[in-house]
Amino acid sequence: MFELKPMLSALWRNKVSAMLIALQLALTLAIVSNATAIVQDRLTSMARPTGMDVDNIIAITFMPVPKDYDMAGAVRADLDMMRSMPGVVDASVTNHIPVSGSGSASSFYLEPNAQIGDLDGNYYQTDPHFINTLGLNLIAGRNFSDDEMHVIGSNESFIGSVIIVTQQFADAAFPEGDALGKFLYHGSKDNPMEIIGIVERHLGAWPSWALAGNVVFHPLLVEGNHKRYLVRTEPGQRDAIFKQLEDKLAERDPQRVIHLETLSEKLASTHVSDNIMVKVLSAVMTLLTFIVALGIVGLTIFWINQRAKQIGIRRALGATRANISRYFLVENSLIAGTGLVLGTAGALIINQLMVSEFSQPVLSLTILAVCAILLFAVSLAAALMPAMRAANISPAMATRSI
Amino acid sequence: MLKMQNIRKSYRTDTIETHALRDFSLEVNEGEFVSVTGPSGSGKTTFLNIAGLLETPTGGEYLLDGQEIGGLSDRDRSRMRNEKIGFIFQGFNLIPDLNLFDNIDVPLRYRGFNTKERRRRIEKSLEQVGLSARAKHLPAQLSGGQQQRVAIARALAGEPRFLLADEPTGNLDSLMARQVMELLEFINEWGTTIIMVTHDPDLARRAQRNIQIVDGQVSDLRQSIAQEEIATV
Repeated sequence: MFELKPMLSALWRNKVSAMLIALQLALTLAIVSNATAIVQDRLTSMARPTGMDVDNIIAITFMPVPKDYDMAGAVRADLDMMRSMPGVVDASVTNHIPVSGSGSASSFYLEPNAQIGDLDGNYYQTDPHFINTLGLNLIAGRNFSDDEMHVIGSNESFIGSVIIVTQQFADAAFPEGDALGKFLYHGSKDNPMEIIGIVERHLGAWPSWALAGNVVFHPLLVEGNHKRYLVRTEPGQRDAIFKQLEDKLAERDPQRVIHLETLSEKLASTHVSDNIMVKVLSAVMTLLTFIVALGIVGLTIFWINQRAKQIGIRRALGATRANISRYFLVENSLIAGTGLVLGTAGALIINQLMVSEFSQPVLSLTILAVCAILLFAVSLAAALMPAMRAANISPAMATRSI
Repeated sequence: MLKMQNIRKSYRTDTIETHALRDFSLEVNEGEFVSVTGPSGSGKTTFLNIAGLLETPTGGEYLLDGQEIGGLSDRDRSRMRNEKIGFIFQGFNLIPDLNLFDNIDVPLRYRGFNTKERRRRIEKSLEQVGLSARAKHLPAQLSGGQQQRVAIARALAGEPRFLLADEPTGNLDSLMARQVMELLEFINEWGTTIIMVTHDPDLARRAQRNIQIVDGQVSDLRQSIAQEEIATV
């Protein structure tokens, strides 16, 4: 019914044009499927829950001007002042602002003085108010107590005895699910750190990091040349509190440079490069698909013009209009099918290289199949209009001497 | 078998209307071998196109095998062409990308025959034209005479009741032309009705009846008699 054998032998005699279109489709599938995998990875990364009340948090960075500044005293005074402000839920000190793209990471071990078998995690030095300030969900254990909080100088080294970790990090360290009460070790130090609490989620400093979500919290304030606060407000109060904070912090201590921004701004700026990549790759995919569709339309029209007499002959011999349209659509499907089979192999090879050389996401077979089906549909749609035009060629073309 | 009454065919552009056939009437009986002659531009090809359902007339009545053609859909006309009419063209009109077997297979596929039946018909028709050994050859690998025999085999494979030949020997030398003509006569002896358009008066004389078309109308004494007979009926 579909004349596959004669169609294939006719295609074989015009193989250069057919192969060019098939290769174009193959290349498009290889690029589009890998680009889709990257786009999906970025979109998933951007949509990943932070675990924090991002919309109601203000991040503050300050740097005192005097060299002999009483950092610990200033932090205490600032936090007391901010926590007493109407509309403020809580405030906390931290060494880094979450989801800002800036942070610290370290290796943690299950045994003292271990050199291998480490777990990498993003860590924060904070205080007992951090859970409430960030709106984290403590799912096991307890929060830090005030007497577990330590203040050290910027040149001192100190390993605390308690930590709180995220569920993800707990599961990575103790897959049996019994992390609470267990001990971890920091680098070459042999001080055990007991896991006293587990929070459901905290995305950490780098949302695009492969280990984003592996986070450890220490109850520690290291005096240094600058400090950061996080302030959580009642819903709808953020912008008003933001303005007040600027004035009140400056008023309380004018001898410092203060910078305020919202955590949602921070998160958005962290995702800028992901957003750009998603837009650029989407544009490239659309353009490539459009070019392929144009190529198919062009080739089909060229073949139809070249074979107008042949179409007339077929019509004269009894082909209906539907037979002619179907002939070109099936012929196009054979070319597209060949291209997509080649493209599937190409996509997997390219993906292996991208995974090993550029740490790009693994291409799932679902994405590959969806891209192949979409491209097949595009190629059929592109061939449809020329194929319908071919069906309108008159059977009287058979008796014309052109 | 074929009956045309007052057939008209005109082609119209924005400024000019050309009458290719005017009040054209003709009757061809089953089993007849009719030759059609006439000067260039007289309307021979238009007549052939209408007779072969390749074009629709502007007016008039056309009955083929007792069926009025005027009301048929494009799909029904295609089916009728496929089942009842065999075509032999001046330029052979074989599909260059297909070998002889596949060329003959084209109308049989549209007919919906199964593989076994198609193969039987193709092999039989190739045998009838003496080209069984060339089934896998491409048209370009054959001489003009052989290509025309393939075209005849393609027409024969459908076992049509009506064969339309448009200058079937026009591109052949005299020896090959004679062979093709003998083949057509042989086919006619089996009972197939043949209408052959030709410029060659010698070939035209070999038909049982000759129709001459001039200025889109039949110009022939015997045809006039036929018309009178139609009028009487």
